[in-house]
Amino acid sequence: MSERQDLEARLQSWRQNQKKETMEYVLLSGAGILTVLLVWQAVVMTGMVNERVLPAPTTILETLIFKLGNKAPDGNVLSVNILASLQVALSGFLSAIVIGVPLGLVMGWWTYADRFIRPIFELVRPVPPIAWIPLVVVWMGVGLQAKALIIFFTAFVPCVINSYTGIKLTSKTLIDVSRTFGAPNYEIFRKVGVPSALPMVFAGIRVALGNSWSTLVAAEMLAASAGLGYMIQIGRTVARPDIVIVGMVVIGAIGAGLSLILSRAEKYFLRWKINR
Amino acid sequence: MERMNGEPKALRNVLYWGLPVLAIGLIAIGWIAFSGSNPDLMPSPAAVWSRFIKTFTKPIAKTTLIGHAWASLKRVLLALMAAWAFGISFGILIGWNKKARAFFGSIFEVIRPIPPIAWIPIIIMWFGIGEFPKILLVFIGTFVPLVINTSTGIEMVDRINIQVGQIFGGNSSQILKDIVIPTALPSIFAGIRTSVSSGWTTVLAAEMLGANAGLGSLVTRGWQGSDLSLVMVAVITIAVIGALLSVILQKLEKVVCPWNH
Repeated sequence: MSERQDLEARLQSWRQNQKKETMEYVLLSGAGILTVLLVWQAVVMTGMVNERVLPAPTTILETLIFKLGNKAPDGNVLSVNILASLQVALSGFLSAIVIGVPLGLVMGWWTYADRFIRPIFELVRPVPPIAWIPLVVVWMGVGLQAKALIIFFTAFVPCVINSYTGIKLTSKTLIDVSRTFGAPNYEIFRKVGVPSALPMVFAGIRVALGNSWSTLVAAEMLAASAGLGYMIQIGRTVARPDIVIVGMVVIGAIGAGLSLILSRAEKYFLRWKINR
Repeated sequence: MERMNGEPKALRNVLYWGLPVLAIGLIAIGWIAFSGSNPDLMPSPAAVWSRFIKTFTKPIAKTTLIGHAWASLKRVLLALMAAWAFGISFGILIGWNKKARAFFGSIFEVIRPIPPIAWIPIIIMWFGIGEFPKILLVFIGTFVPLVINTSTGIEMVDRINIQVGQIFGGNSSQILKDIVIPTALPSIFAGIRTSVSSGWTTVLAAEMLGANAGLGSLVTRGWQGSDLSLVMVAVITIAVIGALLSVILQKLEKVVCPWNH
């Protein structure tokens, strides 16, 4: 009996210790961000850094609220810019998933598809997506389709590579078992290969999402009339660092939000997977 | 994977070696046909080749193609050296020390989702379009993957390995140096590889938005001067150098962490 009490007492103290450590972690995290904001505010308010070079956090917040309802200086309110960017990024990103993932899976499973598609893919792969911008703009102008195509290029490559690698890593044992039980090749592909490649596929989609969002900014800075990238580019030309920083903050926040949504989706689709 | 049976061996060989040739052939024919009917939209391979030769005889912005390539490479290399030094040490710090992870990690997490390219306008406003702002941009772009990979690698080291070190009486810095960092090396190297490719992309973006030298500036110059052959020459050079860099790193990885394969 006393042994059990002793154990329970130790469990209690361990739990409390754990709780204390979590609290400490949260507090320190908050302190880190708060310190940066305070130092930032202080250097601007004491005049060590010119307000025209680096506006204070409070100014940034004011500009953010101002941009919600005002079109100056780039001609669109913030929500219009956000929607424009999301539309471009998501259409390019989603079409890259729809085309890239099946292509990679097929290449990884059927040798002849690999032999045919691989050389084409290897030619396109090393070109950084940003380098496509001039060619695509000459071909298609600066509309939604042109920018979506550029995003497509950047998201397509990791989708293909990861799906390809993922399905290549399918356990040989599982394939042999299915074959012994008489499953046709296509069925093994669908029921064994694809599910076992899914974790890798999701890792590729994650990279693709990051690439899409960052290339979007480049595409909008070089060729656009709306969107967050356009907004920060205009902010620079009219010398408004507050607009530029608001744009960066919004870009960062939306990027983080998108990757959170993707994590949720990943958890949902891989819920059958046992973590060992 | 799929066993290639069913077809006779000769047919199999023809398909195996013929398909890649067919693919490359189709691309080449497609390029020639498209550029033949739309020379304004796409220069022909011959035009690109002669433009390539011309970059050596008639310098662009006072230097040849090699000079521009070197300008870009130099920026990337300088930034990479700084990013390797700072990024890996910072990654080790926040991966190893819990308090540091809480304090600095939170700041890093806030800055991390901002793509390096989104820094371009503010950095141009602060530092102009000289050499330093470009190196700084590439530094930002390469710092992030290095920190993420290093700190994840350090955090994922098996607790048992650390405990063995403790039982054998190693102090904290010995355990870090002899157990944790070697175990995290493959992950750190993955970060180095990512940093090189992302650095190469970022320098291009930085140069496209304002530079007098560098491959990215050639792209913009060709684009604005309606000289698409020059754009193609620059794009192909960029792709070739990017591919070479990644091959070099693959070889290097086999030397640095041979147990990874």
